[in-house]
Amino acid sequence: MRFGIATGAVAFLACGTLAFAAQPAPLSQDQLAKAIKTDSLTIPTPGELFAALEKPGKPDWAGQYRTPIPTTYRNRAQIALNLGGLIADGFIAVEAQDSQQVKNIGTDIVKLAKALGVSENVLSRGNSINEFAENSEWDALHEELEATQNEVKTSMQSHRDQDLVILVSLGGWIRGTQAVSAAVIKNYDEQSAKVLRQPAVVSFIHTKINDISMDLRSEPLVKSVNEQLTAVEKLVAFQPGKGPSLDEVKKLNEAVTKLMEEIQSKGDAK
Amino acid sequence: MNKRGLILAGIAFCAVAAFVCAETDEEVEAHKQVLDLTGAFTNDGFKLRDGHWAGQLKPAERALIAVNLYAGNQYWFSAAAANAKAKKIAVDLYDEGGKPLTTENYNEGERASAGFSPTMSGQYFVAISLVEGEPSTICLVYSYK
Repeated sequence: MRFGIATGAVAFLACGTLAFAAQPAPLSQDQLAKAIKTDSLTIPTPGELFAALEKPGKPDWAGQYRTPIPTTYRNRAQIALNLGGLIADGFIAVEAQDSQQVKNIGTDIVKLAKALGVSENVLSRGNSINEFAENSEWDALHEELEATQNEVKTSMQSHRDQDLVILVSLGGWIRGTQAVSAAVIKNYDEQSAKVLRQPAVVSFIHTKINDISMDLRSEPLVKSVNEQLTAVEKLVAFQPGKGPSLDEVKKLNEAVTKLMEEIQSKGDAK
Repeated sequence: MNKRGLILAGIAFCAVAAFVCAETDEEVEAHKQVLDLTGAFTNDGFKLRDGHWAGQLKPAERALIAVNLYAGNQYWFSAAAANAKAKKIAVDLYDEGGKPLTTENYNEGERASAGFSPTMSGQYFVAISLVEGEPSTICLVYSYK
């Protein structure tokens, strides 16, 4: 536990009371089980994951770029999964502070979003992404990328495509975990590897996928990804306080890379 | 206000406006209040999550929200009520086993924040309580760096 998290901010909040609070009573398992879980707060953004990895030293984010993916998918579930992956790519480019890469990805995000028929608002998000990238406004880009993702999700909900929302989050989580596990492998140390412990995220996504319509869940790509998530959940469930070994990180990277290849394959998703 | 500030203000306004149809006026107001509170953290390099939770709490009632945090990051969880009917609110944090955590706290009546830097990645729980006052609509957001 580190204190003095934001002394500048706290000084700004001068009218209030700053204190280290007395601890309340522990929560029961029943209370924990009833906790509210929402897509927009319970699932972290790729940007949060990348920020944590940067603390010991900035990784070579440009080394985590992938070759451009197709933007002509016809299967809506596959588009949703790839949209999430592209948004994670956007966060990678922001961490690399690469304006041109951010703009390229922003263009692809808009293309995929259009293919899903989401609202015109997403187009203006694309313009904002370009403008912020042009001006190297990296913090603003973090917020804009997440806002774009939320805009897409809100639009999906209003078009009765709410089942696709979790697939966008899932695509982003898989791509983010692929990039971070690859960066950890390149320069392994146990402390950095600790960021990969996130069993509750996978468990939550898994539960949400099991709630989507049977039709969508039965699609070959969704079915395959869902089945593989069970194994991935085990690969990110390290003991609290202990980082995964290099071998464990490699296994995780292999699993999410396989998933990503399936998701971006221009093969025969229904 | 500079150009970036204007654009960000526009984004914040659109984000609030986009939820008008889905949220009550009080939820929108509580969201505006909490965004105002988190401005201080944003100035200190914290990035604000675009997502939020809003709901109504009765006196002595608590809402518990699951979040997933990363070791190495610093977080501030901020909550604000829609109006001054809430006399005092509190934000507390628990680990994945339900154990309360020591946080750096800021309280000012109907606004409160809790700061925390996890040493372990995983699931945590944020509790928002209406300690004193009349039933109120409260909104939670969080920032990280």
